[in-house]
Amino acid sequence: MVVAVEKKFLVDVTYNGVTKPIEVRPEERVTALLAQAIASFGITQNPHLLSLYREDGTVVPENESVEQAGLKPNQLLLLRPNAVKGGEGNLLRLGSNIVTTSVDVLRSCGRGACECVVYWTGPVGEDVADAVDHPAHLRSAFGYEIDSNWLTQFWKRLAAARRGVKAQVHTHPAEAFHSATDDRWPIVSQAGFLSIVIPDFAEGESTLERAWIGRLQSNGTWQELASAAEALVVA
Amino acid sequence: MIGTDALNRMILLCRDCVASELSDEQIAQAFHQMRVLCVADRTNLSCHSAQTALVTLVSLLSRMGMQVELRIPEVAMRRAQPPFNGSEIRTALISASKRLVPHATIASAAEGNAADIVFSLGSSEVDCGTVPVWRMSGADWSGSIHSAGGERTPMWTTEWPIGGMVSAVLAANEAFKFAMRRLPLRQTSDEIFFEPATACSWDFGALSLPANGSIDLGRVDFISGGAITQAALYVLTRLAGAKMQGRVLDDDRTALSNLNRNMLSMVEDVDVSKVDVIVSRCSAHFPLEPVPQRFEPSRGTTIQLAPRVIVGVDDIPSRWAVQREAPGWVGVGGTSHFSISSSSHAMGGPCSGCLHPLDDPDQRNPIPTVAFVSFWAGLSTAVRLIREALGSAYPGERQHLWLTPLRLDQRHAAIWSPVPPLRNCPVRCAASRSVA
Repeated sequence: MVVAVEKKFLVDVTYNGVTKPIEVRPEERVTALLAQAIASFGITQNPHLLSLYREDGTVVPENESVEQAGLKPNQLLLLRPNAVKGGEGNLLRLGSNIVTTSVDVLRSCGRGACECVVYWTGPVGEDVADAVDHPAHLRSAFGYEIDSNWLTQFWKRLAAARRGVKAQVHTHPAEAFHSATDDRWPIVSQAGFLSIVIPDFAEGESTLERAWIGRLQSNGTWQELASAAEALVVA
Repeated sequence: MIGTDALNRMILLCRDCVASELSDEQIAQAFHQMRVLCVADRTNLSCHSAQTALVTLVSLLSRMGMQVELRIPEVAMRRAQPPFNGSEIRTALISASKRLVPHATIASAAEGNAADIVFSLGSSEVDCGTVPVWRMSGADWSGSIHSAGGERTPMWTTEWPIGGMVSAVLAANEAFKFAMRRLPLRQTSDEIFFEPATACSWDFGALSLPANGSIDLGRVDFISGGAITQAALYVLTRLAGAKMQGRVLDDDRTALSNLNRNMLSMVEDVDVSKVDVIVSRCSAHFPLEPVPQRFEPSRGTTIQLAPRVIVGVDDIPSRWAVQREAPGWVGVGGTSHFSISSSSHAMGGPCSGCLHPLDDPDQRNPIPTVAFVSFWAGLSTAVRLIREALGSAYPGERQHLWLTPLRLDQRHAAIWSPVPPLRNCPVRCAASRSVA
């Protein structure tokens, strides 16, 4: 007879000085534990700013499972604000070919007539973008629409490889700016996410000199940055 | 109608939990209506630690807008207690009535007892019927409170004042929670944060003081003239034998909304430069130089920082800037809603950038805080400076303290931790560069 063993265990989460046990499963994502802790304490004020910390001062990575994060039964975790989520991120370090590759793709796909988009991806937990992903999409001079099947496979592929989307880069027919649609529908809605808009269907120089660059804030608004140097550095 | 401007940061903090429909006036009223009786007899009030405990408690209560009544004898002050003037403690406190925060009175207690809660120092006798009473006590580096009726509290004889200030801030926390329990909360699950403690204590860790009683803090720069700096200097001015040459950097003027937490400021200081207020209040203790400007190297500020720096500024990029330029030890104190963060950073070790790696845009909005939380941040950071000066800095596993005073009676309300070096440290400190 096969007996299924439930591997649930309790961790102690402390918030505002009060400690509560939270039940977790090893395969559960830390994000689920975090959400459970936030719900358990009934936190409604800026819950997106909270993270879990170990007693050694390290933050528990949210992209990992409870098991991968090394959490043990009865381990004490501190639930407290993490400015990492506050919006203003570290410099994103780009592989040396990322900008030119992106512009080449945007230019060849758009052919001077259509908008196009690429995503910069990199390892989860690192401020690094080392690959360019070009989605399957419908296109016109006025916008683009990502193929939903491609998007599903994209997310699966990223999750398996422990990678994430660091920035989205798309083109406009003329002026570079963030439209209301751009504001509302970034591929990632997490504070700190970068969006870059390249003018003239990327027909100009292969740089970000004339690009619009913005960072998503914790309140959902986009902060326009004065230059690429405020957000990006070529590694 | 009462003014709420002086309490607006505390009201903002209360809004973390109180029912949304409450007006600012209703929240302020709950605190203004609080009557707190402080009791001490001559024997217990004769030592500097107990005097400091009383003065600190009265100050914290008043800065929350509460009405304070004193049942104490007139006793000569053992040592000056800025911002209070005078040589006798009762007169000094009463003369500060409505001057710490408008509408917050400090008066001798009338016959009978109409107080909501009572605090009694040491073994001072108190009989207030069914009114909640907490007894306060303090040792050199630790303080505690416990509900009357429990164990007997010893007579207060300590001179070193840190434990006295600990007991005061523990007591002020109970007063705050009492007021909060009178307000409807947004959700019942938050009630646990405001439950009273029957006993509560805190210990910064025993440390031997020099035999000659002298502590040379050296040259110290204070970045910001706000609540953390004022609390730290409030603490340091109470240390007999402490010597220091310092500077305070800030370009801001005192606002009415600062009075709820700026421990060296009074109503008459509104619109006066913060650095001038601080320097004038500390002049009898330390030679401090006012520097009426921000520390902004990126904007051309050229100031060679002192070997020791206390950073009380909320702006996280400013903390990075200080850390980059500091030639030696850096102590950082800050608050986040009901919690405080205090850390120290020696040369070569993980820096404040490793601990606070990214900016928090929320810090640019009015910051919710309350007197006793800000005071905890300044007190714990001042203790770090004292320990550093005495050559007994906390070990690495205590480099950071995250403390939530509301339920300090709970086991995990304060957590000491190391500061791990961070590969993406914005300061690019030496410790971060060593991370593979």
